[in-house]
Amino acid sequence: MDSKPANPKPLEDIFDSSVNLEETHFQEGYKDGFNDGLVLGKQEGREVGLKLGFEVGEELGFYRGCVDVWNAANRVDSSCFSSRVQKNIRQMEELIEKYPFLDPENESVQEIMDALRSKFRAISATLSLKLEYDGYPKSTDVKDLEF
Amino acid sequence: MDLLEGNLELKEIQKLEGHTDRVWSVAWNPATGAAGIPAMFASCSGDKTVRIWQQTPSARCSASFECKAVLEETHNRTVRSCAWSPSGKLLATASFDATTAIWEHIGDDFECVSTLEGHENEVKSVSWNASGSLLATCSRDKSVWIWEVQPGNEFECVAVLQGHTQDVKMVKWHPFMDVLFSCSYDNTVKVWAEDGDTDDWHCVQTLGEPNNGHTSTVWALSFNSTGDKMVTCSDDLTLKIWETDSRIPQETDGYMPWRHLSTLTGYHDRTIFSVHWSSEGVIASGAADDAIRLFIENKDGLDMPEGR
Repeated sequence: MDSKPANPKPLEDIFDSSVNLEETHFQEGYKDGFNDGLVLGKQEGREVGLKLGFEVGEELGFYRGCVDVWNAANRVDSSCFSSRVQKNIRQMEELIEKYPFLDPENESVQEIMDALRSKFRAISATLSLKLEYDGYPKSTDVKDLEF
Repeated sequence: MDLLEGNLELKEIQKLEGHTDRVWSVAWNPATGAAGIPAMFASCSGDKTVRIWQQTPSARCSASFECKAVLEETHNRTVRSCAWSPSGKLLATASFDATTAIWEHIGDDFECVSTLEGHENEVKSVSWNASGSLLATCSRDKSVWIWEVQPGNEFECVAVLQGHTQDVKMVKWHPFMDVLFSCSYDNTVKVWAEDGDTDDWHCVQTLGEPNNGHTSTVWALSFNSTGDKMVTCSDDLTLKIWETDSRIPQETDGYMPWRHLSTLTGYHDRTIFSVHWSSEGVIASGAADDAIRLFIENKDGLDMPEGR
């Protein structure tokens, strides 16, 4: 700044430090916020991860359980399911095995989950099973074991 | 051909009463109406029932239909659409109660022999393929299901097809190929085909705005008798004609894509809900403007005598 009366420097300094003060406060505030955010973000991320991971795991576990029961039924009586249903059960099993458990950011996770849900619904519809996965499998009459 | 010369006129010959709520859809039994077999059709309604009507062989009137059967106590909600199998022995009824019932026609009776469950909400349409071996259903849950008929009226779910992003309004099989067409609130028509014999069905073509497709909900579609042209109707107030290569596709060759041929605009000023291409080449459209219009193709394009 050019035109200042009497003591240009001190006045400038005063002005400068006022301006700087605001700037300094801004920077400090930003830094504090950023650091807090980092901590909170990690915490929230962990919570979200745990929640989603649990949900995905539970759903996959449910399908794994269904496939295991169906495979067991098949071993007891290999003619209890039609060849189409058997093929679908095998495909479901392959999908479960293909699911990238350890790589949640793998792009195919949604695709595999959708395919699993589709297969499950197709098999249930054919077997007239009123079983649905909605987080907590309800107890239902599993009709496919009685022919 | 006198269809082009003459004045086509629609004349009401009978009014059939019986349903206690709106009638959504009707379907002629394909095994009737010729060779001395009296014509028969089914009507389905918001009153949760389906009625079967048959023409009495009457000397004087050309048509006197009476109600032969009422199919009730099965659906819990509106029956939205119905379709006869090509043999005329089975009738599939699609309902807002999320199920599709299969009725067998034995003698004068109809018996519900199977119920197909799986859709999450209202089933909008049902269609049999040309050989009667496959049945397709579609629903507000955006999916299209394909079922295979097994001996003993058992049905196996072959595929659950996801792809539409909104309510699927209608499904229809091609008149002789096992290729399935579906149309939706998402403004597109999707074509689904099987990969060889593997039960692996997927969408082989989507006809949307980029292909000169509709700009609003597509409500219905219908094929001409030779299966090389299709008409679709929409909430965008137009009818569109599509064609495909008329050569029969080779077994090994891929799939023949459909392309837009023509758009009929300005004939209806409200949503066109229904369209059908008759075996004699007349396209009939029904819209919310209370009009039924009939179209015939002339040398250059489509021409239109009308009815109301």
